[in-house]
Amino acid sequence: MRIQNAQRVSEAIQTLSAGTSLDTLVDRLYDLTDGTLALDRATLHRIARGKTQVARAIDSPEECIRLYFALMILGCERELSVTSIAEEGHAVLAGFVGEPLASLIFRDLAATLPKLTDRNTLKEYLEEGLRVWLPK
Amino acid sequence: MATEMIAGRPRAESHTLRTEEERLRTHLEQQLRVRTRFAPLSDVRALLVSSDRADRPKSLVVSSSASVAERIYLYVHVAAHIALGHNLPLVTIVEGAPGMARFTDASRHREAEELARAIWWGQTDKGGLLGAPAFAQRHPVLRRLLASEAARGAIRSLLIGMRHVYYDLRVERALAGSRLAAWLRDALCLTAVVCVAPQLSD
Repeated sequence: MRIQNAQRVSEAIQTLSAGTSLDTLVDRLYDLTDGTLALDRATLHRIARGKTQVARAIDSPEECIRLYFALMILGCERELSVTSIAEEGHAVLAGFVGEPLASLIFRDLAATLPKLTDRNTLKEYLEEGLRVWLPK
Repeated sequence: MATEMIAGRPRAESHTLRTEEERLRTHLEQQLRVRTRFAPLSDVRALLVSSDRADRPKSLVVSSSASVAERIYLYVHVAAHIALGHNLPLVTIVEGAPGMARFTDASRHREAEELARAIWWGQTDKGGLLGAPAFAQRHPVLRRLLASEAARGAIRSLLIGMRHVYYDLRVERALAGSRLAAWLRDALCLTAVVCVAPQLSD
């Protein structure tokens, strides 16, 4: 998978992780995705720092979608605003899978957000969103 | 839709209701691949999260403050949404909390409500697995009575009174397998669900 805008993805990851150290961020991502992310720690570090455009280990949109959900859950845990979580999540997904597919996935979040007024409910939604994309 | 549920009524978390809730939850999981869990949701009643394909598992998060009767109603309502394909592709169904304004997808919830009513009264669900107890489906008088708000409350009070008498007389062992006991159980279950979701009545 080639990252289309490495700098924007890096900024989005830094915003969503809100000051978390890279190691803690990567540990949490592995936890949230039940170890299903094929990316190694070093590559994730490089992506978060905007130092690479190549994420060879990721070869399916499903993995990108899991990363998108996991990063937004992290944003909820860091108590970011709902708007910020949605914007940065969209940027991550678009950076990985391109805008057309990202828009398709993001459409549900955009339609669901106005119905949720509580960050905890958003987190529940994101956790379930991630779960349905976990491999069987 | 869930916004129509009446909150604040006394709960009848009877063993019969809990058993029925568990049976429906299992049915959703085995037949519709809906995994259910409960979480403290302050602003919504339930969320059904789906992926892009019908054959993939779906997740239902139900507010832990929902009573057992409300959960039963939500399962039937969610099954109706799934039957109508409202959750595909990648559409999250949000059931609002009581008193919340209707969402923009109100027409979809209305459609689901109509189908849920048909399922509940055994008009579409051939196996009767998601509907009200079979006895109630065969009992048009009870169905008609439950359509009136005043009668609903009276019937509920009457049935709860009958249950008290049943236990006070200490005849539950002798009558446990009787038709009377089965009738009382089914009627209480049906009435409890229709009381929290009156839109299921005619």
